[in-house]
Amino acid sequence: MSRKMDKDLLTHLINGVNAMATEEIKIMEVCGTHTQMIAKFGLRTLLTPKIKLLSGPGCPVCVTEEKYIDWVIEILNKYNVTVATFGDLMRVRGGRGSLLEEKGKGKNVRVIYSPLDLIEMAEKNRGKQIVFLGVGFETTAPIIALAIKTASVKGIDNLYFLTSIKLMAPILHYILQEANHQIHGFICPGHVATIKGSDYFKFINREYHIPAAVCGFEAIDIVAGVYYLVKQIVQRKEEAFANLYKRCVSPQGNRTANVLIEEVFNIVDGEWRGIGNIENSSLQIKEKYARFDARKAFVVENQQVKVSMGCDCKDILLGKKTPKECKLFKDRCNPMGPLGPCMVSTEGACAIAYRYGEEV
Amino acid sequence: MNDKVMLRHGDGGKHTSLLIKDIFYKHFHNDMLVNSLDASVFDGNHGRLAFTTDSFVVKPLVFPGGNIGKLAVCGTINDLVTAGAKPLYLSCGFIIEEGFDMELLEKIAVSMRETCRRTGVKIITGDTKVVEKGAVDGVFINTSGIGGLQANYQSKSIQEGDQIIITGGIGEHGTTIAVERYGIKVEGNIKSDCRPLNHVLEKLNPYIGSIKLMKDPTRGGLATALNEILEVSGRGIQLLEKVIPIAGEVKSINELLGLDPLYHACEGRMIIVVDTEKAKEVLGDIRRCEGCEDAAIIGSFLSAGLPSKVVMETVIGGRRIVGPLEGDMLPRIC
Repeated sequence: MSRKMDKDLLTHLINGVNAMATEEIKIMEVCGTHTQMIAKFGLRTLLTPKIKLLSGPGCPVCVTEEKYIDWVIEILNKYNVTVATFGDLMRVRGGRGSLLEEKGKGKNVRVIYSPLDLIEMAEKNRGKQIVFLGVGFETTAPIIALAIKTASVKGIDNLYFLTSIKLMAPILHYILQEANHQIHGFICPGHVATIKGSDYFKFINREYHIPAAVCGFEAIDIVAGVYYLVKQIVQRKEEAFANLYKRCVSPQGNRTANVLIEEVFNIVDGEWRGIGNIENSSLQIKEKYARFDARKAFVVENQQVKVSMGCDCKDILLGKKTPKECKLFKDRCNPMGPLGPCMVSTEGACAIAYRYGEEV
Repeated sequence: MNDKVMLRHGDGGKHTSLLIKDIFYKHFHNDMLVNSLDASVFDGNHGRLAFTTDSFVVKPLVFPGGNIGKLAVCGTINDLVTAGAKPLYLSCGFIIEEGFDMELLEKIAVSMRETCRRTGVKIITGDTKVVEKGAVDGVFINTSGIGGLQANYQSKSIQEGDQIIITGGIGEHGTTIAVERYGIKVEGNIKSDCRPLNHVLEKLNPYIGSIKLMKDPTRGGLATALNEILEVSGRGIQLLEKVIPIAGEVKSINELLGLDPLYHACEGRMIIVVDTEKAKEVLGDIRRCEGCEDAAIIGSFLSAGLPSKVVMETVIGGRRIVGPLEGDMLPRIC
């Protein structure tokens, strides 16, 4: 599509949304990348204030439990290991500090981008034990599974995975089962849908009678999603569901990726930072691959650490509050000194609201 | 010559003198350097001078488009250029880790020589220290520089409507470093924009009375530099996202990594604030400079009554605030 046509269509859709929305409409975008793109495009400044775009729990760093960071620090202190991690975990604080602080103290912490680089890293450093922090959603699960499987096939014995992989469907059920959630429509996460398929999200309207759409990440994708949802909401078509990201998402998703996930992981209960325990919401390495599971290879204290950040991240993750409604926002909690998880990652709702400023 | 730098190369004795002769004098050769003892003495012209210093600790030491040596020379030259000065003389101090590869040290010196040769700048004094393994990471370089002010340039008070020019595509250095640092396997020709900017200053000579301010957007990138200019000017800035030059590969790599080109360091770009009447002419001349073909007017200053913020009209016509960098950018998970 040409840029001119794109621009015309955008204007048409935005005008359409603004004309249709006569009452307040709350739409949750679940994925952190969507939250970031919405802010980056300044989309809120083009839409009527009647449209409220709320950020959901789809930023992996934001929902990684405090305990997890403490485990990593404990492993770093007790054992002579190299920790390899995705970049945005570096600043997250547990009860005992952050990985960035540990690196400053001389601990071996390396930022990597692809889990597949781990294999090469492990092969090159045979005498060194490497612990990879496998965090994310269904999106990163297949590549982590592939790294574990490859390590197994190659007989690599110095690589371990400390996983905290969360599942999207259970947290959405949790939000939707809250009696006072007030969400009128969902923009489903495009990346997760690429792996799991658009059908994975159909329960949103089948069980809860709320319109939902799977969207991509270009401006036109997001605006088209908002237009579609507002139209269904205004016309009270509660059963409406659309896959607007067909160029990447099929109804059943990526079969190979899902086979990999099933081969390597079991589904177990999971702890969500700021929210608590949610049944069947997390992936754990299967017994068959247990020798790669850092939780089994390294002894860590499994005590419950309660860290209260005193912020409203829970309500923000669940769509009940916006970042600016939190009393700590900006002055006491900011990207240089984040208190709550939503301020840590570049995809966290608070960090985005801080950086891009919602209203100009 | 040894193939590794040893502690004895820093003892101040024979080996130090060999290292200096075999690498630094050989490549930085000029009478002022070779004939000087502890300091270089030179004739001053009687005009105004600019003096600056900067230390370089980049990792990796060698990256596509340059290395720490080229960066150390360009960085100081460009700091002089943004002050409106023609760069004349540099000092350079090396702090080298024991065991450092001698061939790499020479490679670094060669690229410093080449950059000096292209710009007519001389390294006229220097210092070398070798420290124990682990005390520094490879090599750190400090350069200081002196330049003579061109046409008595001085920065001026910024007015409503003054235009903001960027001399080329942004984020290329920072993106290149991120690709190297995180081991991203990308096929393409992404390389650092690291280059000296003295030729741009020469082109600006006829317009010097209309140039309000110059700044190189290094650490923290374009966004941070504009916020610093905003502090000085006390006026808000209106940016237009769609005209900010960003190479396609820079855009894609940053989308992949979840990083923002507005915050990546540039090492061969300059922000120039120009009186609105001369802006188009200045832009035309800058575009004729080598490496500045993509220069563009990317925004302007607002009236004093409006909020003192950098506000950007986004590609879709929305608005958002562009704040300074706070904390390092780190690549995201997915």
